[in-house]
Amino acid sequence: MKNKDNSISDYKNKLQKIINKLDSKFDYEFNMSLSDGYSVTSRFSEVENIEYHQDMALNVSVYKDYQKGSASTNDLSEKSIQQAIEKAQNISINTQADDCQGLPESQYTTQKWEDMDIYYPKTLDIKNIIDLTKDCESSAFQKDKRVTNSEGSSFTFSDNTHMILNSNGAYGTFDSTDYSLSCIALAEQNKLMERDYWYSSTRDYDALESSKHIGEKAAERVIARLGAKTIKTRVCPVLFSPEMTSSLISSFLSAINGSSIYKKSSFLIDKIDKKIFPDFVNIQEDPSLSNGSATRPYDSEGVLTQKKDIIKDGILKTYLLDTYAARKLKSKCTGNGVLTNILVSSKKPEANLLQNMTDGLYITDMMGSGANSLTGDYSRGAFGYLIKNGEIQYPVTEITVASNLLQMFENIVSLGDDVDNRNRIRTGSMLIDNITIGGT
Amino acid sequence: MNFIKDHIISSYDLSDGKLENVLSAACPTNIDFADLYFQYTNSESWQLEDGIVKNGSSNIDSGVGIRSVSGDKTGFSYSNNFQYENLLSAANTSKCIVNSGQDKEIKIGTEKDIRRLYEPISPLNYKEDNAKVEFLKDIDKYIRSKDNRVDQVIVSLAGVYDSILILNTDGIKAFDDRPLVRFSVMVILKVGDRRERGSAGGGGRYTYEEIIGKKFGYEFADEALRQATVNLEAVDGKAGAMTVVLGPGWPGVLLHEAIGHGLEGDFNRKKTSAFSDLIGKQVASNQCTIVDDGTISKRRGSLSIDDEGCETKCNTLIENGILKGYMQDKINSKLMNVDPTGNGRRESYACLPMPRMTNTFMLPGEYNPKEIIESVQDGIYAVNFSGGQVDITNGQFVFTASEAYTIKKGKIQEPIKGMTLIGNGPEVLKKVSMVGNDLKLDDGVGTCGKDGQSVPVGVGQPTLKIDEITVGGTQV
Repeated sequence: MKNKDNSISDYKNKLQKIINKLDSKFDYEFNMSLSDGYSVTSRFSEVENIEYHQDMALNVSVYKDYQKGSASTNDLSEKSIQQAIEKAQNISINTQADDCQGLPESQYTTQKWEDMDIYYPKTLDIKNIIDLTKDCESSAFQKDKRVTNSEGSSFTFSDNTHMILNSNGAYGTFDSTDYSLSCIALAEQNKLMERDYWYSSTRDYDALESSKHIGEKAAERVIARLGAKTIKTRVCPVLFSPEMTSSLISSFLSAINGSSIYKKSSFLIDKIDKKIFPDFVNIQEDPSLSNGSATRPYDSEGVLTQKKDIIKDGILKTYLLDTYAARKLKSKCTGNGVLTNILVSSKKPEANLLQNMTDGLYITDMMGSGANSLTGDYSRGAFGYLIKNGEIQYPVTEITVASNLLQMFENIVSLGDDVDNRNRIRTGSMLIDNITIGGT
Repeated sequence: MNFIKDHIISSYDLSDGKLENVLSAACPTNIDFADLYFQYTNSESWQLEDGIVKNGSSNIDSGVGIRSVSGDKTGFSYSNNFQYENLLSAANTSKCIVNSGQDKEIKIGTEKDIRRLYEPISPLNYKEDNAKVEFLKDIDKYIRSKDNRVDQVIVSLAGVYDSILILNTDGIKAFDDRPLVRFSVMVILKVGDRRERGSAGGGGRYTYEEIIGKKFGYEFADEALRQATVNLEAVDGKAGAMTVVLGPGWPGVLLHEAIGHGLEGDFNRKKTSAFSDLIGKQVASNQCTIVDDGTISKRRGSLSIDDEGCETKCNTLIENGILKGYMQDKINSKLMNVDPTGNGRRESYACLPMPRMTNTFMLPGEYNPKEIIESVQDGIYAVNFSGGQVDITNGQFVFTASEAYTIKKGKIQEPIKGMTLIGNGPEVLKKVSMVGNDLKLDDGVGTCGKDGQSVPVGVGQPTLKIDEITVGGTQV
């Protein structure tokens, strides 16, 4: 990837030259991203789509006398970059001064960090990739005769470069790769169709789950959905699958984001050092996980990302702050211009949560935007399975899941050891008591 | 004006001959069809929070998407710039789906004269930046002066100018210029420990002139304040199946989710939709007639031509409860042997077009909204929503109410907290027992997502009564 290094240093020099010529009364920050790649989809053993992408974007923010303006362009010619800077300057002149505005303090930024282990470039033969998607889909069909249709199997690849440069001397660049393979299978019973999917997503091509496993898993999941019934309205314990737990944790994380806090649009304002989760729950951010899907050395402002406790023994230890939010809240920047990998753990993870449930629901899918970040009120559509004495009775459809996030966190009974490592939020399943299920 | 025509074509010296070469490179003999989608997008946004306009942003995104189609196979590539050599190279990449064949000779037709549903102008040039900032400040001041419980006000103003050129191997050459503006306001009220929000907004394919300094913005401010006030009084609602009356306008998000997505041509060609093979069948009560109409002047979801150069239409999806047709783009209409319906849309040059909705709404019925509410013994009345989602295969859909009330013995009672409603697309409209005479379209804030691509859309409906649908309250 020698060419890539060259092109990054070319861009760096170009931007540095531009900065040197610019009005020095302004501060400047440039964020650049380059991404090359493609996606291949096959359906019924034929190629359906091959899409190549090649994206580039430059964002510039300018500051003067606590006024800020931003502009972006996807044309990286010198002329367009100049135009973007001028546009940002014009905007800044019209915005209002805010003394929290400005580049990060230089003690938070640096030009050095450990290798992140997220860049695995590989030259792939497109023919092999097409075969991979075909194999993936066929293994879904072969797994079970009731799999009668498909939305195909897709492979995606991208090779990304990020660069930040500001007029305070911060500079950083890193490369990453993303590979994914997925399959969407459809099955039918009594003229009612269902669909479900499975995927693998990694930084390293060789770490992808096998095409056979992904296809078969998609088939198993869709077959399990067949014959879904509605149930009566009730209040009961609910076991959320790792994917659904991740969605609950994501609602928590957006509520402790600095901008939600200073805008007072969160149900978690004034909660530092307060107990939000039961004692046994810990939530950490780890920006440098090897192969992590959100691993990165610095955030969107060039501030070094930090490993830290967010929830320690159930207690909220920090909000997630970028430079502006930190100043606004008179606190320290936590390198959260982006959010990296999140690890949810329990002091007593359990191996067989489902088997130990006497009565309740296992929720594997939720729909809709019914998480109110201001009040914590929670109401979403769901799909899952009715559990009795540790066994799945039948799939359940057309239900709602409702409570309030604060109550839900308080009512967590246990966490599973079935951690899903594919996502930014790494968590096992979660058993929560006292959830209202709306049904017939 | 058209930015592509007036600036790009000449600056990059892109003669018809060169463009024909690019199309020809994307369309060898064993390819059925190829198209080029030139796009130049200039957008900006301004936001006020905590009483000040602390930032604004301006974005330029431009490029050319090149697509080669053979049967149901599509190859796609794009270029971020307009250099002839880069276009040729993208064209060579896009034809990768087939083994190489002879390049076909392509003739570009004369420019298509299009029916214009909006002015070919850039909204960004109408009003000084300073006027935009002053307007946002004024709205903030207005809201804070009206209610001392105001804890936060967030107001934003955004404008987009989209200039496109579509060229294809059928000889189409069509330019379109698409203005789009949007204003939104969110208010948080605080009483003791309780905090609730209300939001409102609107926009369309016109310029800031229609918004800045007009009554429009203040009316939305009043509306956001009203909703937040209502939500301060909201109590926990019940869970379970019940009768629901939906208000007119924006609650039409019901139609978008319950039937709209399920009637998109791609899903029906692949038979992955719960509505596959149901043309001519009863899928709704006979009071329901639903259209997707991309031709309404200046509306957010409208387009003079779709992103494949076809004129948009008013397509009847369901007539008196009977399923009449699907929404189509070029590829799917060809494969299904029907006419395109003008629904081929894409988020940008960097994405493939797909069948998408425009403005989807139900035509008015015969009932007075008052008599619809009076007919309900025990149920809820939901008037504002925050969005929805659907699984088109099993037909399950949700939409989330942000303002709702209980109805008891024909009378609207106390407000209840926001909640999600869940139903089954092919079943739910069969339970529509009363359709009001008060058709209203939404105010112009809708955005629809499909396969990661967002496009602006509209919805609408008259007041209507659903005899039974599952509601996600917390009380049993």
